[in-house]
Amino acid sequence: MRVNRKQHSGAVEPRTLLVNFLRDDLGLTGTHVGCDTGHCGACTIIMNGKAVKSCMILAVQARDAEILTVEGLAEDGEKLHPIQEAFMQSHGLQCGFCTPGILMSSLFLLQRNPHPTEEEIRRGIEGNLCRCTGYVGIVRSVRAAAEALSKGKATTKKEREVEY
Amino acid sequence: MEGQAYMGIVRTPFAHARIRGIDLSKARASPDFIAALTGEDLVKQGVTTVPQNQWPPQKPAKRYHLAVGKVRFTGEPVAAILVRRKNSLEDLVELVEVDYDPLPVVTTIEESKKGKTLIYEDWSDNLSQRNDVKWGSAEKVIASAPYVIRAKEGIARQGSTPMEPHSTLVQYKKKEDVYEVYATVQSVHGLRGQLASQLHLPEERFHVKVMDMGGGFGSKGAQSYPEPLLACLFSRMTGLPVKWTATRTEEFLEAASGRDEYCGITLACDMGGKIVAVKAEVECDVGVTGTQNHMSQLSLWSMLGPYRIPNVDLRLAVYATNKMPLGPVRGAGAPEGCYFIERAMNIMAQKMGIDPLELRKRNLSAERRPGDTDRKPSGEEDHVRLINDLISQPRYEELLKWRKDVNSRFKRRGPSHSNIVAGLGVSIGGRSGFGGDEDEEEHPESDESPGGGDSREGSSQEKAEQWQQDGSQSEKGGESKGEKENDEASSWGESENEGSGVELDFESEYGRVTLDRNGKVTVYTGSSPHGQGIETTFAQLASEELKVPLDRVSVVWGDSVLVPAGVGTFGSRSAVTGGSAVVDASRKLRAQLFARVSELTGTKAEALSISDGRLVNTSRPSAELPTIAEILERLGLAEMSAESTYKVSSMSYSSGVHLCALTLDAELGTVKILRYVVVEDCGTMINKKIVEGQLHGGVVHAVGGALFEKLAYDEQGNLLTGTLVDYGIPTALDSPDVEVFHEVTPSTGTLNGTKGVGESGTIVGYAAVMNALNDALSLVRPGARVDVAPATPDSILAAINQPH
Amino acid sequence: MIPKKFDYHAPASVDEAIRLLGENEEAKILAGGQSLLPIMKLRLAAPTAVVDISRLPGLSYVRDMGAHLAVGALTTHDTLGSDKSVKERFSLITDAVTRIGDQQVRNLGTIGGSACHADPAGDIPTALLAADAQFVIEGKRGKRVVPARDFFVDLFTTAVSHDEMLIEVRLPYFPQRSASAYMKHCVREGGFAIAMVGVVATLEDGNSCRDSRIGVGAAGPTPIRAVSAERYLKGKTLDETTIAEAADRAVDEADPPSDVHGSREYRMEAIKVLTKRSLRLASERAGVLGMRVSE
Repeated sequence: MRVNRKQHSGAVEPRTLLVNFLRDDLGLTGTHVGCDTGHCGACTIIMNGKAVKSCMILAVQARDAEILTVEGLAEDGEKLHPIQEAFMQSHGLQCGFCTPGILMSSLFLLQRNPHPTEEEIRRGIEGNLCRCTGYVGIVRSVRAAAEALSKGKATTKKEREVEY
Repeated sequence: MEGQAYMGIVRTPFAHARIRGIDLSKARASPDFIAALTGEDLVKQGVTTVPQNQWPPQKPAKRYHLAVGKVRFTGEPVAAILVRRKNSLEDLVELVEVDYDPLPVVTTIEESKKGKTLIYEDWSDNLSQRNDVKWGSAEKVIASAPYVIRAKEGIARQGSTPMEPHSTLVQYKKKEDVYEVYATVQSVHGLRGQLASQLHLPEERFHVKVMDMGGGFGSKGAQSYPEPLLACLFSRMTGLPVKWTATRTEEFLEAASGRDEYCGITLACDMGGKIVAVKAEVECDVGVTGTQNHMSQLSLWSMLGPYRIPNVDLRLAVYATNKMPLGPVRGAGAPEGCYFIERAMNIMAQKMGIDPLELRKRNLSAERRPGDTDRKPSGEEDHVRLINDLISQPRYEELLKWRKDVNSRFKRRGPSHSNIVAGLGVSIGGRSGFGGDEDEEEHPESDESPGGGDSREGSSQEKAEQWQQDGSQSEKGGESKGEKENDEASSWGESENEGSGVELDFESEYGRVTLDRNGKVTVYTGSSPHGQGIETTFAQLASEELKVPLDRVSVVWGDSVLVPAGVGTFGSRSAVTGGSAVVDASRKLRAQLFARVSELTGTKAEALSISDGRLVNTSRPSAELPTIAEILERLGLAEMSAESTYKVSSMSYSSGVHLCALTLDAELGTVKILRYVVVEDCGTMINKKIVEGQLHGGVVHAVGGALFEKLAYDEQGNLLTGTLVDYGIPTALDSPDVEVFHEVTPSTGTLNGTKGVGESGTIVGYAAVMNALNDALSLVRPGARVDVAPATPDSILAAINQPH
Repeated sequence: MIPKKFDYHAPASVDEAIRLLGENEEAKILAGGQSLLPIMKLRLAAPTAVVDISRLPGLSYVRDMGAHLAVGALTTHDTLGSDKSVKERFSLITDAVTRIGDQQVRNLGTIGGSACHADPAGDIPTALLAADAQFVIEGKRGKRVVPARDFFVDLFTTAVSHDEMLIEVRLPYFPQRSASAYMKHCVREGGFAIAMVGVVATLEDGNSCRDSRIGVGAAGPTPIRAVSAERYLKGKTLDETTIAEAADRAVDEADPPSDVHGSREYRMEAIKVLTKRSLRLASERAGVLGMRVSE
């Protein structure tokens, strides 16, 4: 599979979950495990262009997939993606545990709906739970990210679309 | 870590049962099995019982980290195993067979009171603590007061529920005889002390670290959990790094949860609306009890609010049941107390037919009373100012009008009738900015209650003595620090196996600030951020004091070796105590530096200053002074540092007034919060965005607690709400936008003017939401009330359909 | 958190999938995985083999077949929810599918998977029952078509035998002057559904109800049709009174549980309210004037 634009491979038991493969085998611990039942959304990644919960997918199901995790957002790991920049400026995170999942869900939302209303933002991240922020800072950050992305502050195609 | 082994916990499916036997043979037969521990192993090795802090005094509850003899709550650990592979962990846990003899289960206060089934068989009943606060003659005054209201209030058992479950990783280092412990804790020094005490070893044997942690909200602060202890034992036994991560199910079963308090309150006012008496019976379900049990005690103090009440009769009884231990959850007793009084105030306002904010104002002095400082818990004049602030906001008028409009549609009959009812609710309250310890002697009412002359009866001091007379063996906290050396591999030293809580001084915090030759500043703090932005705010404080640019300051925390002492982050205390320590240490460092510069250059110390990282002679600005780097080099120092264990001289109280606007669907009983307004004063704000973030999160936590959250048990003691869909923490769609308006009245009790704000949103929030809901309900059917949280649609419809 | 061990198969064709299912009675089909994986992770289900059909070609489509809309079993909720033809002709399906779980679940979950999981409190089963859908099942002996009323047999049990596979869902077009609506009620957004109702109403001669179908979920081991309410509405003019009467009758066949999320009494009440509101919405959509705006 390709993860964050790099090719990877591995051999796993069928029951190995994708989130554990990413974390334990590939060392990409930015994707988090917050629950057992697929309700917290902290494990959300983008797989084949869709926001999905990696704890609800078997690693073997992700063979040949294109995956983007939070580690893949910053250009060359250095320059922050506009959505990361927006979350930083608008205090969109506190403890940060839910943040990777929230970023990926928000990215997917903005890709489809570049100018979401507050209601649409909240519905877009309905599958991501946060206990720290009360979602206020998160909504503000997504709005700021939407503005930044639409104003063309993103100069590369990569930043406007989820590309791999 | 490379080569790590995985620990799994065998947990009882029964809430109350005797353990007849534990059969590990099937698990041992697996090639992935490494080792196992049971309660008997802990006893043999002299490991202490689960520690209990002794404030307030409570009956010692003797229980081991792995159950011995019997289990007392579903999910209680019975055995621990160590396995080679993560994937096979649950397979092997399932292979451990435990033979249980079920006992009758106690899951309600009612059952516990009956005492037919004892949770702890060495107790004569299930009462864990009792406390009374009394002055004046409440009963008499109530009997003749013109306005009296009564209510049965309560908040169900609710969890901290941080997004990251508990986790630990321990590597015992044989050569150094040191345990390297990573754990999800709000205080590395707290855990260090607990492990040292439980294993009878000096604290220096434990190097405790916490890195980025996914939230705590109290559950990772106070309770002594089995897993770090067991991981230490396993790592010592095998030499392997031992990793354990709770599943969310385990987190729900084991993490200390809070609230579970119920209050029958009577509030009496005179003709003018001034409170003349409060009488209340408060009951708390503490589960199997735990390490920190002071929450309901705090509720007693909080439930007098900022009001001065001449006649008070509060009685608290705390009962043990077959539920997981109760512990501090954001607010730790203060949300309950604030809810009890603030809900009652609104019921009174409705009875008297006056505006609820007006009723508050009639009970608060707008002017600081003679002899008061801002350190008096009342903060009355702060609240009056904030109330007036709220009323003067255009938003306030707007919401009053909105409510009128929505409700006029509800009142219409026929096709234009709407099922949506609007409700507005207010509440006021405050939070002291350290530790959570409310020293009885400092409570103002005991000194200054006008009118009532009777001294308080039934003080907790007397009760403490009573427990001692019952032959309790509990030791004073902090004394059994385990100075005994560990002689043999399998022996942990002689057993003084009653676990006592670790004494942390909640009124102080440790801070150290260093300056190096590159002009970089490093702050070491005993505070332990997990979302509170301390790396930013403490850097700001040091940067301010030392006039070094912010990007040259870094903050170190969460390491018991790099930071040798500390208390931790909980109880809204970090900016207050930790921040003050940073300011104090920075000032000491400045003084030290200037003294040395003065010696070396002849410039008077008083004339020295720093600007943008450079030394400046303020009386002769053109004079060139050496750089800080040069000074350090001349002194032969790599760095200069100063430290502080700053003790706050008294409590400082932040205050807030909340307004909640919601709609109620009268047919379905569902609630939607449309707007939430906070007007608050937490003293100096080091970083406004961070302060507001804390308030947003705190308010939404209260929204969850008022409307959705309940840890529910069935009659067999099974936890029915053990997933994140069954247990309703709010999603983005359930949560309102929260508007915050600030007043700033710097505290004089801290070095940075802060008062603490982490829990404020939650403390004052419950009542605002419940009052708004009841405001709406009263329109649907006069007299319909829901006074127990969470106010579920079920309970709302039941209130609408049945007489109160 | 981690499922019990199992063998993993990824067949390349429907035939191969059916063969694999026939060889192992304990094998389970994996499509989107959004219903199967949660129960496997909690070890409430422990199949010894998993047959992954998610990559089988040609099973994801939405096609106009003249008298019905054909939906491939692997069509995701997200795809179905954004399909214009579904929204035009089967608004209750759009209403239902756009509110399943959350976006992540909708991105992977499939109509076939949800239907075969047969959760009595599932949006898809309830909506498909109200829509009178037909289920195309393929097995060793070829294809067969089962109507919705025979498809949901019991708690988490459908008419699909162990060695068969659902390959298509057919939605017969509603008669002229029909409209539909689906509503579900949760205590909090993203929580469990307490009640759900899907309605299809067909009008004639003004506002007279020629026929109606009312599907109710979370009211027993399978979704049910509120037949006494449907019988009542036949031939009646749709207005506030008749809708309220129908809503009262909608609980006649309902048998909801009592649990920590809602008492039986509360659920009955919620069913009535949702029936009323979805009938109103459907009437509005059918062009009945003067209907009160639903909440």
